[in-house]
Amino acid sequence: MTAYISLMIAIALIGALIAFLTKTREQARAVALVASGISLLISLIMLSRFDSSLTIMQFAESYNWIPSLGINLSFGVDGIGMPLVLLSCIVIPLTVIFAWGETKEANKFYGLILLELVGVLGVFTSRDFFVFYIFWEIVLIPMYFLISIWGGPRKDYAAIKFFIYTHVASLVMLLAIFTLYFNAWNITGKPNFDMFLLLEKYQLLDGWLITNVISIKDAIFIGLLFGFIVKMPAVPFHTWLPDAHVEAPTAGSVILAALLLKMGGYGLFRVILPLLPFSDSPGRMITLMAIIGVLSILYGTFLALAQRDLKKMVAYSSISHMGYVTLGAAALVPLSVSGAMFQQFSHGLITCVLFMSCGVIQHSAGTRIIGDLGGIAKHMPKLTFLMLAGFLASLGLPGMSGFIAELLVLLNSYANLPTFVILALFGIVFTAGYHLWAMQRAVFGTFNEKLGHIHDGANYEIASMAVLILLIIFFGLYPNPVLNMMTATATPLVRDAAGLLGVIV
Amino acid sequence: MFSEPDSIFPAFIVLLPVIAFVLTLFLGKKFPHGGAYFPIAAIAGSFIISLGVFLEIYPDKIVQQSLPWFANMNIGILIDPLAVVMLMMVTFVSLLIHIYAVGYMSHDPAKPRYFAETALFTAAMLGVVLSDNILQFFISWELVGLCSFLLIGFWYHKPSAAAAAKKAFLVTRVGDVLFLAGIVLLYVNLNVLINKGLFTPEHGNFILQFKTMFEAAKLIDPTQLTFITLLFFGGAVGKSGQFPLHGWLPDAMEGPTTVSALIHAATMVTAGVYLVARTFPMFAATPATLSPGVPDSLLIVAYIGGFTALFAATMGLVMNDIKRVLAYSTVSQLGYMMLALGTAGAVVGAQAVGISLFHLISHAFFKALLFLCAGSVIHAVGTNDIREMGGLFSKMKITGTTMMIGALALAGIGIPFINIGTAGFFSKDRIIEGTFEYGEKTGDMIPYAFAIIAALLTSIYIFRLWFMAFTGKPRSERHPHESPNVMTRPLMILAFLALIFGFTHLGFYGYLEKNFELMGVEVAGHEGEAAATSPIVVLLPVLVGVLGFLIAYAIYYKRILNMSKIVSSNNPLYKLLLNRYYEPTIGADMIGVKLTHGVVAQSGEFVDRKIIDGLIIDNIIGKTTFCLGEIARKLQTGVVQNYASVTLLGVGLLLIVLKLVGGI
Amino acid sequence: MADLYMYLIISAVIFTIGSYGIITQRSGIKILMCIELMLNSANLNLVAFSSFNDNASGQVFALFSIAIAAAEAAIGFAILVALFRVRDTINLDNINILRW
Repeated sequence: MTAYISLMIAIALIGALIAFLTKTREQARAVALVASGISLLISLIMLSRFDSSLTIMQFAESYNWIPSLGINLSFGVDGIGMPLVLLSCIVIPLTVIFAWGETKEANKFYGLILLELVGVLGVFTSRDFFVFYIFWEIVLIPMYFLISIWGGPRKDYAAIKFFIYTHVASLVMLLAIFTLYFNAWNITGKPNFDMFLLLEKYQLLDGWLITNVISIKDAIFIGLLFGFIVKMPAVPFHTWLPDAHVEAPTAGSVILAALLLKMGGYGLFRVILPLLPFSDSPGRMITLMAIIGVLSILYGTFLALAQRDLKKMVAYSSISHMGYVTLGAAALVPLSVSGAMFQQFSHGLITCVLFMSCGVIQHSAGTRIIGDLGGIAKHMPKLTFLMLAGFLASLGLPGMSGFIAELLVLLNSYANLPTFVILALFGIVFTAGYHLWAMQRAVFGTFNEKLGHIHDGANYEIASMAVLILLIIFFGLYPNPVLNMMTATATPLVRDAAGLLGVIV
Repeated sequence: MFSEPDSIFPAFIVLLPVIAFVLTLFLGKKFPHGGAYFPIAAIAGSFIISLGVFLEIYPDKIVQQSLPWFANMNIGILIDPLAVVMLMMVTFVSLLIHIYAVGYMSHDPAKPRYFAETALFTAAMLGVVLSDNILQFFISWELVGLCSFLLIGFWYHKPSAAAAAKKAFLVTRVGDVLFLAGIVLLYVNLNVLINKGLFTPEHGNFILQFKTMFEAAKLIDPTQLTFITLLFFGGAVGKSGQFPLHGWLPDAMEGPTTVSALIHAATMVTAGVYLVARTFPMFAATPATLSPGVPDSLLIVAYIGGFTALFAATMGLVMNDIKRVLAYSTVSQLGYMMLALGTAGAVVGAQAVGISLFHLISHAFFKALLFLCAGSVIHAVGTNDIREMGGLFSKMKITGTTMMIGALALAGIGIPFINIGTAGFFSKDRIIEGTFEYGEKTGDMIPYAFAIIAALLTSIYIFRLWFMAFTGKPRSERHPHESPNVMTRPLMILAFLALIFGFTHLGFYGYLEKNFELMGVEVAGHEGEAAATSPIVVLLPVLVGVLGFLIAYAIYYKRILNMSKIVSSNNPLYKLLLNRYYEPTIGADMIGVKLTHGVVAQSGEFVDRKIIDGLIIDNIIGKTTFCLGEIARKLQTGVVQNYASVTLLGVGLLLIVLKLVGGI
Repeated sequence: MADLYMYLIISAVIFTIGSYGIITQRSGIKILMCIELMLNSANLNLVAFSSFNDNASGQVFALFSIAIAAAEAAIGFAILVALFRVRDTINLDNINILRW
């Protein structure tokens, strides 16, 4: 068995170091493209060798690191992680291609992008909670610099806000992990950070963290949940996202929306769902998650409707789409959970196109304010075509991947969470509303002569967007390559939950 | 060869236009006429296959093919009588309109985009028709909506076109969401039935296939079934422009006239009717609580349809844009089709599908004809406003004659008792008779009243249009000319069909009636042969048609009335009609812009910026942290002596405590 | 053995005087001298216990301590002299540039 995962992470890491050391931007971007391209290749090999019918961890590997504390460098992927690994390996090379023209401190720029790849791959493959946390934090730092060095006018504010929000959330998560770890240590008598072992021991825990106020189980559960939903982000912990997106450079926004948000959703499936049936009040927790999900969907939609900045609108649309992930996860039906997983994958692809469109428009027209644009379709036909395709995918047009995901979530969540699904359905009309409204005002209509001479996106920008659109259509027509493995993993995940809760499956 | 279970031909009915779409989109620029030959050849191919399938399966076979898709869904093809007549109509009309468009669009620089989009539209529409499950139906349905959006906004640089495209998409989207909600509810109910062991789909059948749905329809809780069917109908209301979601269809006339003819008259807008017809067994299975003997859902379908027929016809009377008149006419005729499904469904059971579909097809022919004639006129005079036309008949004899045929068909003119007449005479008058039979059975004559008054108005507005455009003196300085052959030939073919199609009615009803039996589904509601109707009932629809003609003749040709007195902005009724019952004001401005965008979205923004970010994050959390920091900072005096005193004090206290506790 | 208590009490008195001086005085020289006092009280303790226990290691530690005290005093006074040259004062209240 080849050590695919560690190889992939190592290549990205080495690529990042080499990129930092290069002198010219040509070298830096070549290094970035090669390193991320190799990662993509490895992930494709993994996909072809991945057995979709199994639910166990595949390509598993484990190395001792700190035995006295029970910490191992152990990796592996299953139906939750594999699609996201694939997504990361698709998005990063395309981002590198999209950002081919970056001139400002190019070596650091591409190095940081590769470092992001290291971080997300580690998060999606770690089987050890300690290593998981380390990678979780690694992701944070390059993004901070991407925003604070290459960002817009209020970049310092946005970067620090992003950092504080997500860092506070991950510290809370760390506390929860430690609580779980030490309590499990008490029970088993030996230290171990293995993720699955800890999740399994959770049900044996007992007692109060603060007597008669909060039990240890609830504290751990809520701590972890908090850590994940801030990252997703869910309302009301979402306000860092629009600011970060507005100020971040396009490549940063793409990575932030396509990969970093997915870490939160990944946490829900990997950690929260196994714990959910054993928490002290599963019914309340499910309701809590469903409320957060639907609130995010509707609130994100209406906020997107109110935005004047195209990119901010797209940022709010991300919040709305990630709401489906929470909702589908909370419904605890195999197909709703796999629909939620597919929503993660699909949103990762779609949101890239949206942010790239914003980037091209900003670059070409010099503004992203919807009211200041107008009629740019005339001068940017290629961009218009791709942007329209992306917007349609984002509003859930059938034939594109987003539709399959949202359909699965809505169809299958209704049995357990009828009211919430009906509420979510309301959002669909308004989702179409803000997308089309923005298109109509920014892209169609008469050309705003004040914009002066504008040109279509560069070839490398158009190419990377076109690839994404093709992928979106491919997975919209034939979702099976990733959907099957998601369903295979989701089924046992939910079986425990359903058996204990008596929910209809 | 076409109808074997493993034949690949049925799939090619859809695939050919898809291939044409790709070829035209990417290669269209390099070919003459913007690559128009790709879609024309492809759609001709689809038409030939459809015809072949029809000849093989007629009269009592169906084609079924199915493949698993993702999760528990499938993709499949179902060609039953209902589908095959739609297939032939869609491919045929689409073919003619594509040929016509070669001439009509000849001056437009964006021809490849036009032909690519119409090819995609045809593919999606055929996908709707061919679907064997409700999900695939929904997917194609949405793609059809997308093409409609793209084609309405074809001239996207016109702000009005961009706005109309958006409105069309959003309004139909409201219907689509209802439709989707219906699918969700259906799926859940079926799952509940399966989990309880009350129902098992036949081996190899998928949960959302029509066959499974129909078999389970009787087992679903009646209230839930009523909800499901009404939600489906909600989708149909959006797509077919029924009240209250009708507003987008007249605005959709911003697109090229060929698009209006193909999409917003002949094919796409009938998808809603097709949906109700397709799921008719479910509508028929709903309980009859509102009115005895009439399933609830069908009653509502009937009322909405009947009201829309009348409501739209009133607005058709006053419009001055030639295409808008026809658009309201379309809305009105679609109302008739819904009315047929609703009322006749209660009287003649599954035959209602035949009656409705017959009107759908004959309407497709004569309405496509009318639109193409309008296109020919617009092409010639360069304006849409009938007030600026006049006296065109001498210049455009072919267009004038064919349009007159279309108008006669729309008004349903024919000779009763010996059964000679235009297509509309057979199809529409049968619907009106059906509403009368319905009234006799249930004592509810309101639908009949809707239908007959609407028939009168229909006749008035369409002949008003004809007389204003083709007779009298030219009212503007233009130089009209007859259109080229590529445009007039399709007119003639369609006019021919509008004249003779009606004679197939008996065979058509019989063929369609068996539709659900062939699928192995029984449809209740058939209560034997209808009693022989009295002559006056048969005569009345034609009489009102002729009456309408005479009224229009008197007012707009003979000019016995001075219309300028009635048509003034002081007449409140006229104002109401001309402003379309203030539907755009209420719908778009108040609900869309003011309420949703102005109130809800802006207050959300306020909450986000001022309360979450401003109050909670900045003021409460942020300020508290800073205050705590400030206090902690004060403790750090930086004077070593202070630290030393505190340390000493602490050690002393510690010693005392230890002493008290007894540690030392 | 009353002798040991005598030493310890004297040592405690010296320590208290030293610590009082550190808290109250502002002059660097005086503070350094007070520190010496405290160190010596500790040395006194070491020697007293060493003699009391008949174990020489305490006295060795006292020698170490004296050596370190000498070094510390040397460095401390050197700093104060350097400061006095720059700032013309050795009043610690005025030497607060590193304070917030």
